[in-house]
Amino acid sequence: MSGGHVKLESLIKRFDGFTAVDGISVEIQAGEFFSLLGPSGCGKTTTLRMLAGFEPPTSGKILLDGTDVGNWAPNRRNVNTVFQSYALFPFLTVAENVAFGMKYKSVPKSERDGRVAEALELVQLSGLEKRRPNQLSGGQQQRVALARALVLRPSVLLLDEPLGALDAKLRRTLQVELGALQKQVGITFLYVTHDQEEALTMSDRLAVMNHGRIAQLGTPEEVYDEPADAYVADFLGVSNLMDAQVEPGGKGQGPCRVRVGDFTLEAQAGQLDATGDVKVAIRPERIHVHPYEDGGVNCVPAMVERLVFLGSTTHIYVRLANGAALQALVRNEGSAVPYSQGTPVKVDLPADALRVLPDPGVSVSEIHDETLGDQPLDLTGSVQATG
Amino acid sequence: MASTVGESITTSSPDQAELAPSRRPRGNPWRRPYAMEGFTWLYIVWSIVPIAIAVLFSFNKGASQATWQGFSTQWYVGNQVTSVLHNPGLHQAVIQTLVLAVLTTVICVPIGVGFAIGIDRWRTRTANGLNVVMIFSFVIPELLLAVALFLLVTQALTFIKLGTPAEVAGLVVWNISWPAIIVRARLVSIGRSYEEAACDLGASRFGAIWRVLLPLLAPAIFASAVLVFASTVDDFVIVEQLSSTSNTQPMSVAIYSNVHAGLSGPALNALATIMLFISLVAALIGFLGYRWMSRGERTKGGADALTGIAGI
Repeated sequence: MSGGHVKLESLIKRFDGFTAVDGISVEIQAGEFFSLLGPSGCGKTTTLRMLAGFEPPTSGKILLDGTDVGNWAPNRRNVNTVFQSYALFPFLTVAENVAFGMKYKSVPKSERDGRVAEALELVQLSGLEKRRPNQLSGGQQQRVALARALVLRPSVLLLDEPLGALDAKLRRTLQVELGALQKQVGITFLYVTHDQEEALTMSDRLAVMNHGRIAQLGTPEEVYDEPADAYVADFLGVSNLMDAQVEPGGKGQGPCRVRVGDFTLEAQAGQLDATGDVKVAIRPERIHVHPYEDGGVNCVPAMVERLVFLGSTTHIYVRLANGAALQALVRNEGSAVPYSQGTPVKVDLPADALRVLPDPGVSVSEIHDETLGDQPLDLTGSVQATG
Repeated sequence: MASTVGESITTSSPDQAELAPSRRPRGNPWRRPYAMEGFTWLYIVWSIVPIAIAVLFSFNKGASQATWQGFSTQWYVGNQVTSVLHNPGLHQAVIQTLVLAVLTTVICVPIGVGFAIGIDRWRTRTANGLNVVMIFSFVIPELLLAVALFLLVTQALTFIKLGTPAEVAGLVVWNISWPAIIVRARLVSIGRSYEEAACDLGASRFGAIWRVLLPLLAPAIFASAVLVFASTVDDFVIVEQLSSTSNTQPMSVAIYSNVHAGLSGPALNALATIMLFISLVAALIGFLGYRWMSRGERTKGGADALTGIAGI
């Protein structure tokens, strides 16, 4: 129960000629809710599997409360995992599933029933002890998997996309519950997900991963508001990325002047001392769409391409004269959006919201492809008990 | 989208429209498939009727295998000389069949399961090659294997005596692919996550196999055991080659050699009926047992792949 401090030192994992994890160093404090976020294939699950002990690291150290456990068998580590497929044993009841590990942790027999009941109460499943996993809903199975791991009081709990198989509404409910549960038990949670909303809502800190490396490490606010590069900006939420060049002169002082197509814009966020080719990013909620007659600093002409009504908000897709596509997010406050497809408008890109990011040397569309990744399709893995 | 589909049809085959009326299926395309149903029933009758007649005449009162003379069970138990119960040759054949079936199952299944788990873990080219070898027994003629085994045990491995030891050895070799293939198919569909979960919860690798993998494999192991048993009961080619005296002849060989020697009669029908009965009971037990063991995994109304593979 005590402890839970994790330190990864230049952790590398190579499979036959393919580097899944390429030198990760990160320190996770005891009791922290830490997320690894990235598209599939970025190395986040491999990192988790090395921590759990299912894969030996190629090099580097995994320090668990100061001890290098890199080459320990999974059953020797005081770490438990909640699997994406839950991996509940279909031939055991809920109570037997939860009690499974206590035999190995030498919990006295007299205590086991009490601990099972306590764990099931924690995940709000009391009364379902006698059921079998296939008689439970997906959300209930997920809770059993959680109880089965928590009942052993590990110092670190690893969660591998635990909400991935659930529908959107249940996922939101469980996000909130999981966050509250973590605060209650105080165990270090290492949460692996490709869902940026999950990572942002629950984590104390998170690491955005790409190509086996950490692209940015920070609190959700830091990573969302101050993305370190175009990749992070695009991966976390919808980000409008544009190719731009920094106008020479006036370096370092005041706003940075960047050229996007035929227009010169002022930017006050990000790497203001950059030169040459850069990317500029702006969040959709910071863009304002005005009638075409309006003007001002950072107001550029554009054409409305599409309106997408999303209930509480409307997405306005616009295209600038230089071909760059942008999305603006408008809150629905009673009146309809006064634009339609083909309307010429002015989009206001406020200087304090326009962020200058270093040029990764690839085009905007290539960054999009990368951040979209593949949807996590688990064809090779286990067949769920419920089929 | 719809318009492009329409265009592509008309452009790719311009005469489609003219031909369409004559090509339209006559009548209701959702009508019952009478021809298919009729053929299915014909097939069922064709394959079951001869067996039913053979079973029927095992209950004949007289000694004829062609003229019905009334019902009796004398060819099973009644007749003091020629009934299956009292004719020592036939009686011994039933016992020998059961002995062979039990021994073969008991030896074959653990080896096959071990093989399947081993191949699943040992993912190399050699392992893949060995896996192909497992399919050989479905491909090579049984007689070839039987003759080869006969030569092997009579010329080289003479410590394996003809009779029960050689028969069991031959049947194990012939039937090992059942557990090996069925259990491996199950292993592939189970995946590694259950075992990983067990290790994660504190079990050793052996503990994970024992407490998690074997219970998960139980339906497949059981299904393959039933198949090995039934297949052994039905076997003729291998046991015919490898039996020695009439004492080690199982039912199939006893029926064959009696008919061959001109010693037919309803008692042989009775023996064949017992053989059929043992196979059917094994299949039924297999079906029920498999359903019971995999009850925790079934969703309503779903047959799973393994039931299909196992044919039960």
